[in-house]
Order: sequence, then structure tokens, then C-alpha cells
Amino acid sequence: MEVLRGERGARPLANTTAASGLRARLEDGIFEQLGSNLRDTPLTVRASTLHSSGQTYDLTFSTLAQVRGILVTQALRLLSVGLDVEHAFDEALLAWRSDVGPNELTSYVDQLESDELARLDTDVTAHCVTLKRSLGSLSSRWMPRTSLRAYQRLAGGNVVLRDVIDLMVGTTTSGEASVALLDVTTSPLGEGAERVMRYHALLQTLRTSTVPLRTSMFSTATGELWSTDVDAELLSRAVDDVLEVLRVMAVSP
Amino acid sequence: MTKLTHRRLSPHVLNRLIDEAPSDPLALTDDHRRSLTARFRAVVSTEHRRLDAWMVERAGQPYDPFRWSPATARRVVGNAALRRSLNDPSLTRFDAVELEVSDQLLRATAGYARSGSLASWLAHSSPSVVGLVSAEAANWATQLGEAAQELEYPWLVASSDAFYDVARARTTLRGRRDLIVPRGLARVLLRVRAGAPGKSAGPGLRADLTIDALAEPTGLSASRVIGLWPEAGVVLSVDGTMEDLRAGARDLVRTAVAVQRRSLVRAA
Repeated sequence: MEVLRGERGARPLANTTAASGLRARLEDGIFEQLGSNLRDTPLTVRASTLHSSGQTYDLTFSTLAQVRGILVTQALRLLSVGLDVEHAFDEALLAWRSDVGPNELTSYVDQLESDELARLDTDVTAHCVTLKRSLGSLSSRWMPRTSLRAYQRLAGGNVVLRDVIDLMVGTTTSGEASVALLDVTTSPLGEGAERVMRYHALLQTLRTSTVPLRTSMFSTATGELWSTDVDAELLSRAVDDVLEVLRVMAVSP
Repeated sequence: MTKLTHRRLSPHVLNRLIDEAPSDPLALTDDHRRSLTARFRAVVSTEHRRLDAWMVERAGQPYDPFRWSPATARRVVGNAALRRSLNDPSLTRFDAVELEVSDQLLRATAGYARSGSLASWLAHSSPSVVGLVSAEAANWATQLGEAAQELEYPWLVASSDAFYDVARARTTLRGRRDLIVPRGLARVLLRVRAGAPGKSAGPGLRADLTIDALAEPTGLSASRVIGLWPEAGVVLSVDGTMEDLRAGARDLVRTAVAVQRRSLVRAA
């Protein structure tokens, strides 16, 4: 985490003026693609859409991966409050159940055969060991927040941008940029990861009107951390990414 | 005519909304209270009903029975933690959350927690669930604290929501409020909500405005109620005008009617 926060003296001043320009570019780009007619159902963009460049895929093939991701995120939340997570799978599962109640995914876990459950347990534990080692302890002065949602309606509701940031530290009220965003993924980092990092920075900027300091992604599969400073160019590319994804979504049936 | 102000969340937007709030607060009189009571009494109910802004927004549609979860506990613990960190500035918000959770657990251990209360639920939960409650509450306290930190006016965390029992109408109204910004005789209320505001967010805010005024012994209304949706980066506000207060009361009565109709349909 020290890497994410960087040198305190080297932080730039908080940029609180970029959001309106980015929103205007998005609105103009969406208007060019979708026109002014209101759609029956909005086009919804998520970080996962950016990861796969707008191509859709059947989630049923990856339910196990989805559950693994959820449980690792729950473990991150527990680690962020200083809990010593010893039995990652059991503790994350308990926390998750209390959070969401019974749903399709929790039923899926209930129906797993004992060997599948054991594999999931081992998998989650291995990912959490990597996470725990790399994360270290989080100072409460950094104000760690987890699983923060963002929701932006654009073009009169024709487009909805949704996001969940796994871990955020720093504050938006300081005069200097201090917010660092971290996405934890159980997949290896690839080309899509860069787009996701940019998307997180864009959504955070649109939501709070303050440009974050840094956006990062950590893979619990490889222990690799990608981190980049957020600047005007990165945000501009994020807008291009979103417009490109919308172009693909608008033409696909 | 009622007015709903829509703003994007940006630095100082809350200060501007507080600045621009009407300076002369209105007061609900005994006649207003009597009139409201008569309307609620006209909607006969076999059981005690509880109405709030959420029910107004959903037009009285029933929702899942309440259960404690990290998401439902975050506001209670988060607000209490923010209040605690105000009283003791040496505490970080996160430390305050931990102390608040510990206090709740102590209350249960000492036997002061009634069954079904937050303290009792926490005491019967595993450490990982309690940890998740802390994480959610830390999110809430930080979010609310960041909003409050930007205010150029003195503010305080509301010690409780506003409750008003409508006399002889078997009805309790509950108005949500998170921060109170006193301005002389007047006050501005700030309410934080998760998700994004829907089309009925305005009626929800008006319901909170009306219930808050009713709960005030003097009947003095807040000069403005500001609703903050941090996840969507949106701020809405309604003014404490007589039109808005009346609209809030009307929506509450309509909700009571809708609830009553549904219960009659169910019974039939």
C-alpha cells in the first residue's frame, strides 16, 4: 500500500475542474452514437464490460470464478478493518452471506459437491494468502474504504455507467490529490486491466468531481501490481474506452 | 408550487445550497397537526402503521421484512462513530467505528440490549460479520464526514431520526436526517442515501421535511432538506415552504391509503 500512496510531498494539487469537461465529452460522444431518442433499456457499462472490450460473454461459464472473486473481495474488506483473517474461505463466506442474504450465487455454493467446495476453499485461501502478504497493514489514517459503488446516468438515462472500487484510500477534501484506487482481481493482469484502471479513475472523477491521485490493480493470481498516476490524458483515454465499448454495444443485437 | 433543486456533487456545492436556503423558517401550527390527524384517522387501520420517506418513494409497496445486516447497520454505527470522533478529535473515524462496535457488544454482554436490537445481533454474529459491519460503517462515516468537513457552517450529527406519532391514528412517521446545520433559528438538514435518486426522490425529501417539522415541538420547519447520493454524485434539495410541507403531508397520507388498500386486497 505504501507504493499506492507514494511520497506525500510529491502529490499534485487536487484537480476539481476536469469532471465537467469529461462529462461533456461523454455526452457529445454518446449523442453521436445513439442520437436523442430514449431507449427502452439503457446501455449499462461496467468494469467487466471494459475488461472484455464490450463483447458479451455467458456468465454461467464463470460462476465459480465469480464466487471466488466475491469471496476474495470480502476477505479484502475484513483485512481493511484489521481483522486477522485466518480461515479466509469460511470467514469470507460468512461475511458474504450476512451481507447479501440468500441469493442465486449463495445457493450455487450450497449446491456444490464436496470436492468442488474443497477446490474453491483451497483456491480462495491461496488468493487470500497472496493478498494478505502484499497488502500489509492499512493505517486507519488513510481512511480505507471498501466496495465503493459508483453510478452515473448519462444521455438522459440512455447510458448508465456502474462501478465498484474494491479499495480506496485518501480523501477528496484535501487540497492535494490523495485518493488511491485499488482493484483486486483473481485473474492475471492483461490488456483489459489497463482499461479497467482508467474506468475506475473516470468514474471516481465523475462521482466526486475530484481527480484521484492514482489508480491501481492487483492480481491475487500472480501477485502483480499495476499502478499509474491519474492525469488528463489517462482520463481522456478512459472516455475513449467507454465510447468505444458503447459503439460495440449499440451495434450488437 | 414545489421546487426540487438538482446539483452535481462538487466541492462547495453543499455550502452554496445552505447559503441559498430561505432564511425565514415556517412553523406548523396546531391546526395543521389537527388537520393531518383527521386525514390519517380517516384511513382506518387495523394495525399500527409506520411510514417513512422510503415508503413514500415506493408508493407504499411492501418490502422485505427488516433484518440486520452490515448494510442496514452501517448508518447507525457510522453516524454514532462520526459523533464520537467529533467529541474526541484524536480519534480517526475508523477508530471511532471500532469503539462504537465495541460499545454495542459491551451493551449486549452487560444485558442492556433487547432482543432484535443491533447490539444483540452483533453479539450473536461471528467476528467476520462484525468486521464487515465495521467496514461498511467506516465507509459511511468517511463519506458523511467528508461531506461535513467541507461545510463552512457549524454542523452536528443528528442524535436520532425524527419520529412523530399521529395522535389517535395508530400511525408513526419517521423522518431520516444525518446532519443538522443550525442557522440562527433556522436549520438545514442533510440526509445521505445509497444508490441513485429515482423519480420519486423529491417526494421522499418532502416527506422527511414534513416529519421533521411535525417532530419539532414548536413546529418550526427546516429551511431546506438536502439529499446527498454520494454513489451517484448527485445532490437534491427541497425548501421548507408551506407548499413543500403540504406536499409532504399529502404524500404521507396517500401512502397510508395505498398501504391500507393493499392490506384490504390481501385480506380479501
